[in-house]
Amino acid sequence: MTIHHHATDETLMRVAAGRLPAGPARVVGVHLAGCPACRERLCTFEAVGGTLLETIEPVPMAAGAFAAALAALDAEAAPTVVSGRAALPVPAMMLPGIPLPETLRDCEMSPWRWIGVGVRASALRLPEDPSARLTLLRVGPGRKLPEHGHVGTEFTQVLAGSFSDGYGRYGPGDLSEMGHEIEHQPIVDPDGECICLAALEGGMRLTGMLGRLIQPFVRL
Amino acid sequence: MTRLMHDDAVPDGDTLARLIRQVATERDRQAYARLYSFFAPRVNAFLRRSGLPPGAAEEVAQETMLSVWRKASYFDPARAGASTWIFTIARNQRIDHLRRMRTANVAESAVPVEDELEPSGEALMLCAERESSVRAALKALSEEQATVVRLSFFSDKPHSEIARELGLPLGTVKSRVRLALGRLRALLEASS
Repeated sequence: MTIHHHATDETLMRVAAGRLPAGPARVVGVHLAGCPACRERLCTFEAVGGTLLETIEPVPMAAGAFAAALAALDAEAAPTVVSGRAALPVPAMMLPGIPLPETLRDCEMSPWRWIGVGVRASALRLPEDPSARLTLLRVGPGRKLPEHGHVGTEFTQVLAGSFSDGYGRYGPGDLSEMGHEIEHQPIVDPDGECICLAALEGGMRLTGMLGRLIQPFVRL
Repeated sequence: MTRLMHDDAVPDGDTLARLIRQVATERDRQAYARLYSFFAPRVNAFLRRSGLPPGAAEEVAQETMLSVWRKASYFDPARAGASTWIFTIARNQRIDHLRRMRTANVAESAVPVEDELEPSGEALMLCAERESSVRAALKALSEEQATVVRLSFFSDKPHSEIARELGLPLGTVKSRVRLALGRLRALLEASS
């Protein structure tokens, strides 16, 4: 899988700082899982955090904080094993035979719903933030999606198939970050259906494509 | 009882890494005390600066330092320096804390944010040399650029609000962020 469209520096910086909202963070997380180059860049921005931590003016802890820490450690009978994500017995299926990306397997997935001609969507519910909006989209080959704008940045990770817009062609593993100032018109390439994962940052413009798509899934 | 040392000398990266290894392999409380006295007040400061109220900042800083003890064996100096490793723990603890506040009445999430992605072999090599280059690169940024990097790290504020605070047009702030990050990366790539 050759990745042509990567996360921006600004986005990786926000991931490093822990400041990307839950929905976009999941989309970028799926991208990172498949993109060694972005993981490498993320390490750099995390090292920026390390340097800021080292050089910040310290604020003393309350008196007795260290003793309390030792007491807490003493109270732990055996060393806690903290590693590893809980293994799910059966991988959640996105479609028959196609599992959800591993980084999404703890999400609750709604059934696919018909949204418009050639377009289906499924809402993902995030355990860490049930109010976050994260949507799987399945769009038929050659389908032209209405031109749309949005209030915040739209993060879209291609899981299967491909689409093109004025900015290039996006295939599996590619991440598209579209700022609100951008109007774009994605068209799914004619050779097959496109499945992607999308999240919007900030509010949505309800007249926009994603707004209309997501509207049925969220209580507004 | 292990006592806290009040030692103002700033330990260097190698020393800090060695202390974490001692905690991991020997459960050395003296080493832990030194780590605690260096990092706890800095993590505390970092969390306050990140917007947590003082009580919460201290609580999360304490949780971070307990994690340092528990997870010391996962520290891999080839992957990240001591400060970067502890920074990522503090960052994840902060996210967990905010998550707990938000979902106070909902069942707690079973998935910790801690899960790290395995870097490629190549990334491992680079991580080892990164720390000192990052420090040098940050120093090489202009004051304006360093300010937007700090603001991006410490503030949830949208660029529009940062712009108002700095008395700058929004476009200027956005392009300054882009330039600062691009420059930081260029400096890092040049030095690696």
